[in-house]
Amino acid sequence: MNIANVPLLDLKGITKRFKTLTAVDGVDLQVFPGEKLVIIGPSGSGKSTLLRSINLLDEPDEGVIRFDGQEVGYVTRHGRRHLDRPKAICALRTEIGMVFQHFHLFPHMTVLGNVMEGPLTVQRKPAVEARKIAEDMLAKVGLSDKRDVYPATLSGGQKQRVAIARALAMRPKLMLFDEPTSALDPELVGEVFDAIHTLAVEGMTMIIVTHHMGFARELADRVIFMEGGRFLDQGTPQEFFGNEQGNERIRNFLNRLM
Amino acid sequence: MKYITGRAAMALLFLCMLTANCLGSADYDQLFRRSSDLMAQGDLDGALALLKQVPAPAAGADGSAFVSSRMQAARIHAAQNETDKALADCREVLKVFPDNSEARNLLAAMEREQRAPWATFLADCLRFLPSLAKGAMMTLLLVLCTMLVSPLGGLLIALGRLSRFRPLSGCCWFVIWFFRGTPLLLQLFFIYYGLPSLGITLAPMTAAVIGLGLNYSAYLGEIIRGAIQSIDHGQMEAAKAIGMTYGQAMRRVIIPQTYKRLMPPVGNEFIALIKDTALVSTIAMVELMRSADQLFNTYFNVTALVLAAAIYLLLTTIFTFVFEKIEYRAGIYEHR
Repeated sequence: MNIANVPLLDLKGITKRFKTLTAVDGVDLQVFPGEKLVIIGPSGSGKSTLLRSINLLDEPDEGVIRFDGQEVGYVTRHGRRHLDRPKAICALRTEIGMVFQHFHLFPHMTVLGNVMEGPLTVQRKPAVEARKIAEDMLAKVGLSDKRDVYPATLSGGQKQRVAIARALAMRPKLMLFDEPTSALDPELVGEVFDAIHTLAVEGMTMIIVTHHMGFARELADRVIFMEGGRFLDQGTPQEFFGNEQGNERIRNFLNRLM
Repeated sequence: MKYITGRAAMALLFLCMLTANCLGSADYDQLFRRSSDLMAQGDLDGALALLKQVPAPAAGADGSAFVSSRMQAARIHAAQNETDKALADCREVLKVFPDNSEARNLLAAMEREQRAPWATFLADCLRFLPSLAKGAMMTLLLVLCTMLVSPLGGLLIALGRLSRFRPLSGCCWFVIWFFRGTPLLLQLFFIYYGLPSLGITLAPMTAAVIGLGLNYSAYLGEIIRGAIQSIDHGQMEAAKAIGMTYGQAMRRVIIPQTYKRLMPPVGNEFIALIKDTALVSTIAMVELMRSADQLFNTYFNVTALVLAAAIYLLLTTIFTFVFEKIEYRAGIYEHR
């Protein structure tokens, strides 16, 4: 695996509070190009919030985000920290793809329309070009035959693959997966796993938040265990799932999942 | 007794026939008075016989005695239920004086009584339809203008209400609060009768469209806001996640999904609008309600009101079906 020395994503002291709850508590994280990171942990441990902070769907209260060498999301004016201009934030999001637990496909557009939407509306590519990109992405997730139907007719696994194609159509440098298989029937997990696996093999940098240990075991370069808004431990899958797991809390968590 | 007076009248009639050719206008008046006396005594046949002696006037001559005698005869015949004879009397008068309103009204009234009720109703409908149709076109024009203006106004108000910029959402809240909280009639009065005192004079049509437009924008604003907020929050996040701005997400993702949900309440509003246009009859606009009202006050004929009701029902029915169709089409992507 070719992992460069310059991190693609560099988080420092990310903190997000909801009223009285501190969801993410001063997290530092570096993700290198081509790296596959899997974050696990109990519900409410701040995994999703951390992921959503990266593309500013949740706006962190403190901390610095550097993406591709640039500091993003916040600017300092008159000594005060302000959210960056909407344009800059949108530009950041075009480089970071995101896949949600509940797919969030656009129900009023066909499958092809969903995948075309980003290149067409955001990148303002001509329709012919956008269509070509969308068709390629659909072929990649194996759904070329579904291009003209509406999402309502698809199974959960197919919807999630369309969602992956939609994110990929923007040619992102980083993919965020927020529990991509948690809303799926068990027999549909495989097809989505395979699509993400294909992507991993192609060298896409990705962060996956999941309860599905298969991702951590078979796909991850690094596994992070998160609890209470902090990283409790991190390591390679071998270290993590091997017998020498020293942390009792993590051992209990993993045992319950097995 | 009656028999004897009858005979006397016959004798009198005979006498009169002998002298008829040389009678002057004053004599006719005399004749008319005598027939009235006979009527007072209850000798209607005698009175009729006298009245019939008054001939049609020569061209240019005074015909008043002729008219009053024939009309008197017609009334007697009508009272005796001899409608045919009464009609004949009226027509005799109309032949000489085609514009005589007394004869025409009596004729029309008797003709109406002669016809079957449904035929009368149909004839009235035909008579009222042209001016009611004109009024209905005005109503429809007003409805269409308001339907064009208010969804745009409503969308602006809804987006304003959803804005995080407090002064803007506050303004929109105020507009909704005011226009929903005061009677539409009062708003129309204010715009048409009140604004001229501020130096702004508006044509009735303009005032009506502004009044209805503002009022319905306020209602539609709340409906549209509700529809936007009912769209799953994940849709906005997914749109943002591929890099869309708020405006792009609204235009391409959120608002198109509200159409199906908007149709039932908006259909309701537009049907209410059709009926609410009746209120603009108070600001000098001649639309369907005003036309019906004018006809009713001229002819005291309920048919005008019944017909207007039928036209309102026709309009609302068309709208109902059109909106059902649009709702079906708008939600076609949800069909499996």
